[in-house]
Amino acid sequence: MAVPISQMWTVATYVLKKRLTGKKRYPLVLMLEPLFRCNLACAGCGKVQYPPHILKKQLSPEECFRAVEECGVPLVSLPGGEPLLHPQIVEIVNGLVARKKYVYLCTNALELKKRLPEFTPSKYLTFSVHLDGQREHHDFSICREGGYDIAVEGIKEAVKRGFRVTTNATFFDGTDPNSVRGFFDEVMDMGVEGIVLSPGYSYDKAPDQNRFLGRARVRRLFRAILSNRKPSWKFNMSPLFLEFLMGDRKYECTPWGSPAYNIFGWQRPCYLLQEGYTDTFKELLETTKWEEYGVASGNPKCANCMVSCGYEPSAVVEGFGSLSGFWSMIRGTFSLYRDEHALKLLNEPMPHGRVPLVQIAETEPSLMETSR
Amino acid sequence: MTAEVQKYTIEQVEALELAPGAEHEELEGWVPQLSSEEDLRQALGKALDYRGDITLTLKNGERIEAFIFNSKTGPTLAESFLQYYTPSSNEKRKVSYFDIARVEFTGKDRAAGKHWEDWVKAYNEKKAAGEKNIALAPDALE
Repeated sequence: MAVPISQMWTVATYVLKKRLTGKKRYPLVLMLEPLFRCNLACAGCGKVQYPPHILKKQLSPEECFRAVEECGVPLVSLPGGEPLLHPQIVEIVNGLVARKKYVYLCTNALELKKRLPEFTPSKYLTFSVHLDGQREHHDFSICREGGYDIAVEGIKEAVKRGFRVTTNATFFDGTDPNSVRGFFDEVMDMGVEGIVLSPGYSYDKAPDQNRFLGRARVRRLFRAILSNRKPSWKFNMSPLFLEFLMGDRKYECTPWGSPAYNIFGWQRPCYLLQEGYTDTFKELLETTKWEEYGVASGNPKCANCMVSCGYEPSAVVEGFGSLSGFWSMIRGTFSLYRDEHALKLLNEPMPHGRVPLVQIAETEPSLMETSR
Repeated sequence: MTAEVQKYTIEQVEALELAPGAEHEELEGWVPQLSSEEDLRQALGKALDYRGDITLTLKNGERIEAFIFNSKTGPTLAESFLQYYTPSSNEKRKVSYFDIARVEFTGKDRAAGKHWEDWVKAYNEKKAAGEKNIALAPDALE
């Protein structure tokens, strides 16, 4: 089991309390973006394309704490930008840990090894290191040769110093499932607590718009990757969310489950779409037209999204919200998901043939019926 | 729910193989003609999505160079406003649509030239030239 019992207990009791008090919409994880500045220039990233004066702005520790207290979440994710570039990141992390929030500091780990002495290991603090696959895939994905080796050095040092460490990967079209499975072996050998993964999403701020997986292809890819698991693989995610990626479950999006806060305010409606900002979390909850988002809405902006920030909260709420959900979660935690069909998928040619490094998809989108 | 939102049936969405991405317009340097309220609303909608600074000229002659990040629209221009940051201040500011006379896409488009294909091309060229430690560098903070 990758997620510690104390963290599961905190989330479980939080969900149950919300249900008992009749709350329909409540957040689970705050996506707290303290800055947009980054030390990488990944071609696929739409988070850092801002003028310099915006990249220089950052949230103060007080603003971070106020946002966390305002929405009352048990978990805080610190993405960005690169959070380790924030001059007060240690103060922010320490303040969140003091508030007993489970913090996931998302980092590309270029600065991690150097900065580790400033942090104190805690069950509340996890370094979530961005690794998009094996060395050549990761380096090509982040547009920097040598990035993988630096990140791995940071991971190993963090593990050695007693920190909780996970890896965090996003997969786009052309991903080789066999390579991803090899990557899982590699990261588990590094001693990480677990793996976090998500399919890419075609959010319209990303400069590159041609490599995003549709839902049918996401299900096929993740069925190939996540079936027939090795016992050594641990995932720092809800098993029900992984079943959703594999096509075994259907969920609606829970965009309010992972609200985003940054220098612009509370982002409407979710971490990936930027359709305006509110000054307060209450205003975000009460004034967003939630029915216009998620796959059931038919909104084209949500059409290919199966991303964890929208769908993992749905899985967590099911897992901790009913006995059947809880049982499915336990079963999923220990299952290896044996599947002969998925084994065959591993031997199938990739959708566009294999090429060295990362595959570039055709630009023509298609609507096709698929079956697994 | 608007017709625009209900574009796909759930069956179509579930069967999607590749997701159609958004079309990005080349707006850097554009100065839209504002001959109607609709023209102004459309131009400000594009300004909101633009990944660079915009210069607004107000009816009183004041010029504001800013990154526009939010809008709240109402039935009239006077009830609609933009939120923005200027390069020299950390304070969020507001301006009413009613007060805006001219919109110019003056700032560099920070998303331009950053397509995946651009990276692959640059990588292959550098590799062929025998370069080591090939990487894209973030924009300078000037």
